[in-house]
Amino acid sequence: MASVAPPAGSTFGRVSRDIIGALWGADWRYKTLMAVLILILSWAGFAWVYQIKYGMGTAGITHPVMWGVYITNFVFWVGIAHSGTLISAILYLLRSGWRTTINRAAEAMTIFAVMTAGLFPLIHLGRIWYFYFLAPYPNQRFLWPNFRSPLVWDFFAISTYFTISLLFWYSGLIPDMATIRDKFRGATSRMARLKEKIYGTLALGWQGSDDQWKNYRRMYLYMAAIATPLVLSVHSVVSWDFAMAITPGWHSTIFAPYFVAGAIFSGIAMVITLSIPFRWALGLEDYINEYHYDNMGKLMLLTSLIVGYAYGAEYFMTWYSGDPIEMDSFTWRAIGAYRGPFAIMVTCNVLIPLLLFSRRIRRNIKVMFVISVFVNIGMWYERFVIIVTSLAHEYLPGAWGLYTPSWVELSITVGSFAWFLFWFMIFAKTLPAISITEVKESIAEGVWSPGDKKEDAS
Amino acid sequence: MSDIKRRDFLKILGISGAGTGLVGCSQEPAQKLIPYLVRPEEIIPGIPNWYATVCRECPAGCGVHAKVREGRPIKVEGNPDHPVNAGRLCARGQASLQGLYNPDRIQSPLRRTESGEFEAISWDDAESLVAERLATLSASGQADRVYLISDGAVGTLDRLFDEWMSAIGSPNRLIHESFDVEPLREANRVTFGLADIPRYDLDAAELVVSFGAEFLETWVSPVQYTRLFAESHRFRNGQKGHFIHIGPRLSLTGANADEWVAASPTGAMLVALAMTRVLVTEGRAGARGAAIRPLVEAFTAERVAEAAGVEAETIERLAQAFAEAPSSIALPPGIATSHRNATAANVAVNLLNYAAGNLGRTVRFGPNVVRRQPTNLARWTEAAESMRSGAVQVAFVHGTDPVQTLPAALGISEALDNVDLVVSFSSFMDETTARADLILPDHTPLESWGDHEPEVGVRGLMQPTLNPVFDTRATGDVMLSLASRLGGAAASAFSHTDFASYLRDTWRAIHRDHAPQQAFDDFWRTSVQSGGAWRSAGTQAVTLNPAVAGVNFDEPAIDGDASTPYTLVVYPSPNLYDGRGANRPWLQELPDPVTKVVWNSWVEMHPAVAERLGVSNGDVVEISSPHGSVEAPVFVYHGIREDTIAIPIGQGHEHFGRWAQGRGVNPLALLPAAADESSGSIAWLSTHAAVTATGRRIQLVETQGSYDDRGREIAEVISLAAATEAEAHAAEEIEANPEELVETSQDADPKSPYRWGMAIDLSSCIGCSACVTACYAENNIPIVGEELAAQGREMAWIRVENYYEHLLEEAGHGESSGGTHGEDAGDPTHVVHLPMMCQQCGNAPCEPVCPVYATYHNPEGLNVQVYNRCVGTRYCANNCPYKARRFEWFDYDFPYPLNLQLNPDVTVREKGVMEKCTFCVQRIMSARDAAAHEGRDVADGEVTTACAQTCPAEAIVFGNLRDPHSRVSRLTRSGRSYHVLGELNTRPAITYLKDVSRGTEEA
Repeated sequence: MASVAPPAGSTFGRVSRDIIGALWGADWRYKTLMAVLILILSWAGFAWVYQIKYGMGTAGITHPVMWGVYITNFVFWVGIAHSGTLISAILYLLRSGWRTTINRAAEAMTIFAVMTAGLFPLIHLGRIWYFYFLAPYPNQRFLWPNFRSPLVWDFFAISTYFTISLLFWYSGLIPDMATIRDKFRGATSRMARLKEKIYGTLALGWQGSDDQWKNYRRMYLYMAAIATPLVLSVHSVVSWDFAMAITPGWHSTIFAPYFVAGAIFSGIAMVITLSIPFRWALGLEDYINEYHYDNMGKLMLLTSLIVGYAYGAEYFMTWYSGDPIEMDSFTWRAIGAYRGPFAIMVTCNVLIPLLLFSRRIRRNIKVMFVISVFVNIGMWYERFVIIVTSLAHEYLPGAWGLYTPSWVELSITVGSFAWFLFWFMIFAKTLPAISITEVKESIAEGVWSPGDKKEDAS
Repeated sequence: MSDIKRRDFLKILGISGAGTGLVGCSQEPAQKLIPYLVRPEEIIPGIPNWYATVCRECPAGCGVHAKVREGRPIKVEGNPDHPVNAGRLCARGQASLQGLYNPDRIQSPLRRTESGEFEAISWDDAESLVAERLATLSASGQADRVYLISDGAVGTLDRLFDEWMSAIGSPNRLIHESFDVEPLREANRVTFGLADIPRYDLDAAELVVSFGAEFLETWVSPVQYTRLFAESHRFRNGQKGHFIHIGPRLSLTGANADEWVAASPTGAMLVALAMTRVLVTEGRAGARGAAIRPLVEAFTAERVAEAAGVEAETIERLAQAFAEAPSSIALPPGIATSHRNATAANVAVNLLNYAAGNLGRTVRFGPNVVRRQPTNLARWTEAAESMRSGAVQVAFVHGTDPVQTLPAALGISEALDNVDLVVSFSSFMDETTARADLILPDHTPLESWGDHEPEVGVRGLMQPTLNPVFDTRATGDVMLSLASRLGGAAASAFSHTDFASYLRDTWRAIHRDHAPQQAFDDFWRTSVQSGGAWRSAGTQAVTLNPAVAGVNFDEPAIDGDASTPYTLVVYPSPNLYDGRGANRPWLQELPDPVTKVVWNSWVEMHPAVAERLGVSNGDVVEISSPHGSVEAPVFVYHGIREDTIAIPIGQGHEHFGRWAQGRGVNPLALLPAAADESSGSIAWLSTHAAVTATGRRIQLVETQGSYDDRGREIAEVISLAAATEAEAHAAEEIEANPEELVETSQDADPKSPYRWGMAIDLSSCIGCSACVTACYAENNIPIVGEELAAQGREMAWIRVENYYEHLLEEAGHGESSGGTHGEDAGDPTHVVHLPMMCQQCGNAPCEPVCPVYATYHNPEGLNVQVYNRCVGTRYCANNCPYKARRFEWFDYDFPYPLNLQLNPDVTVREKGVMEKCTFCVQRIMSARDAAAHEGRDVADGEVTTACAQTCPAEAIVFGNLRDPHSRVSRLTRSGRSYHVLGELNTRPAITYLKDVSRGTEEA
């Protein structure tokens, strides 16, 4: 908490003070929240152990719906993981100045979301104790994974994405680490010396010399260029888990762009949902303000329109194909046993985001928060609808069946949110939540400075 | 940093590592195999021995082979040489193993103590207790106060019972057979002067008109009749028999009819009479007509139409068809429609057969069914009265459960309570045994010596297939021992001390009868080996008995008044029979062939009735008759008349073990103690009932999602004409290119001599589901119970899907082929049974998606599943369009001694792995090994799957698609062949042959 207003000095100084000042020093609210999160996590951990001990039957998945909320969560969290790299890499390449204050948090979110998503393929394994069969490891029987299986592609796509995102995030942090290190230079308390040591190590000997800056900027640019295709590829690969299958409702060429758009959509929504309480709690209202939400709103609107178009295109292509089984599947999706989730999906993902056409709404932070929460809910349900309704209503009518999640699945789902927030909370108190360097750059380049809401921007 | 010491760190690491490991450690620890120290001569580990014996699950007496591995029977299969079932077996027969290995068996003699609990006693004490009591009675000249209640099977044990009872001096033997055919026997006596049950040659009949007999499920000899029926009714060479079912409800049998005439519950008799009249008046009956004309003169089609609930034109049409058919059979009413005038109804059907000249042609006396005549209701009532009055001192009960299977109104339960000493020989704590004072558990049939004569000339011989599992004793031995303990006349009546030698000596007479030229020892040995002795019985000439003129064809009385609007039909459950199958989890979990409901009772009602009452599937209703009331969930069924409701018999046990007790209802509580007036047999159709909604609701567990194939061409039907044309064309093709291989034969290693495949003829399949239970037995498939089945977690590798559908365009019908169209089902009279299992696709969707190669294509074209490699992503199941894959959601229990049944050749899967039909790969392997030893390939017919082996209708044919002359290759090339969802290019190894519809207008 920036408890004391810093004396007016240079803007640069203020930026460092504000951002670094938000670190450490947890108050009772922070501690309570962490305690609650740990409690939820323990419960979810218990549920997971229970499931491992007694079998997957403790989850609600059944014949014929073999994938349920676990895979829903997996796809949802991978989707959330998209905004970070999109904001950092793609917007960086596009020179969108407004990204500077949100990219750090968004990237952190990416890392944590991948960490969350990565758990679900394990949680959903029938025999988790053999999870390593999925990896190409040397063994005396020369058994390899099946490289034709999209699940193996997933394994590589996600691990690559995680590695690159982590490196990219870390490269952005290097100058800021040095800033923090410098702030503790010459401090005498043991704690401060420790911090200096830690951040100093993480800063990799950053001195801010011209040479370093030159190399750093080039490296960052290349990293952005490498990360950019991943934004598109990861969720494409995830979507192929479904598109490569012959299940009606899954088997569709539109899935890759549809999933990528959806991922960005949900990712932006999650950035908004998280950043609004976060800027308030850390006192960074000047840094993330109406200007940023306006821009994120536009991005959300765009992706919402793409997602809405994809919904429509799916129905159109199904009708146009004339395949009665697929038509039946899609009709049932809308009016069958899961019409509730379907209605939530359409309302939250297509109808509500239409409000974002209004500039006034985009600049109303409270409304934006509400909309973003709806979008998060809608996107979770989108994945649920795609996975569950398709499996429940496949080719053989005699084998149709329904699925209801069990307490184990719901506990673990709630636990996944706790897990994600847990890491995010730690992040908020240990690493600069806003890129100090880039904010200073913006100020120096006169693009934007803290408190500027760009009211007159078109 | 210095807070954690290195040692502490290692400790924490160790503990947390071990903890993580422990979580997944519920796998069974490896167990050592211990070789025989001295190997029994006949046992080679890994090689099964086969013992011939007789299935005693119902009175049909099918011959079976028990497959015995390392001293344990693990599977029973039909005895191919046996004249009754010719190698086939029904689900109940397959489940006899779960009688043998039932954990709820009575494991030793039990005596009821003062407190009402049972306590174990020794055999010696138990026998002397009975002997003392008998001696006391005998001494006081009260031996006639001893009763013996047993089933109606004819054999040596029955003979022993007779001799024993006369030796102690009691005439009181009561015979109870839940589903008897006494009305038919009596009708035959009245009509033809022969008190016998003839053979109905369904295989020789082109037109079968059934007036209700449930011959495909429970009536007389279901496996035999299924085989014979399939023989004539399946499509072959442009021919297909015609089957018309007349009755208020579509049973499994009725559901296989080409036409359903929904006569009123008591209307069958009138329809038969009116049909006979048409034949007689139109001179179709020839000289025979004159004799019966006066009997049927009054029953014009117009007159009976209203009471029978069938239009006059329909009756005329049926009669014409019956007269014109080159060969025909009219089958008598079955159990469900056996009413107070059932004998007359049977006479009516006899007259129809007589008029059509079927006697001696398709209805043959001679190879008669052999059953002891059961005790009639009047005698039961009298016996119950004696028991209530305390006049009965000792009652022995063997092989039957009268408390459960006689109408509650008869009061057998209370009557037995007043008997001083009730001795039960039952293997299970059934309803009667629960009221016994002493239980002397018999061996189960698979542990016993014995014999059984199901029909004239057929004598099945039973031999023990293993040492008794528990401390049980053969009832024959007990009776002999009691006789010797009694001493005096009783002891001197018997020269044997054990039943086995008594049996052997009984067979000396059979020896003289069957093979007098053979030495007895040889005869005995071959009989034991082959499962009995049989010879064909000649056909007996039949003449009309003049006494038939006196038959009164009055409408039978049905209890109830205006407050009870529905006629109550109670019918034998195809799975549970009279309830004796209720403690076999395989049978409880086997979906009812008609409703697909598991683990429960239900009340069937027409959709219009359900709508009137505002109820739907699962709503609990109270059914009340003037004699009692029960509560059961509703099952909405198109195949039942609007004025009728139906409840299956078989559930509603208070005792009878963990799987049976407290499950469903026993509809016998609703029935009066009423009988057919002439034969004294129980009148099952005797009361009306009222239905009121209770407002409660339960989940009625159906294993099928939807019954409508939605035009997806999953269950295909074509018309007779189209089938004939297509088959003729295909036959030409086959003749022109006899060596051509079917296309799907390619989907295996080019060097492999095999591509295993299967052909399933839907025009043969009757939906009985014997294949399902055979698969459970062969492949160690676990039972999940009602709660998990409700979640869709049943584990069946093969299931029979029922699709109700409109006839296809080709058959010349629009959508107006009758019946009411519900929201989820087509025409109820046209159900197609589709056995569905892994299709062993050549281009299998499951294979590429598995990340670890747990499922892959083997060189012989099978999709094999490697349990050890499976991690359980379940992607394969999602991608299987046939939904043939099953997942081990839990580790399932096989409570001792049920685990002794497990097939050692098949892995018991652990939680978290995927499984599915393997085409019984273990059977293929052993056949291939056997052939390899002889340096040749496996010949056609040498190996078959468990489902194909048991199929009573021979609908499933398994074999090698790379052999162009194999049966399966020929069938695959049939003009009716198609692949389910073939448009997905999955290239299934299973070819279905389309069902063939005759259409109604040809009748």
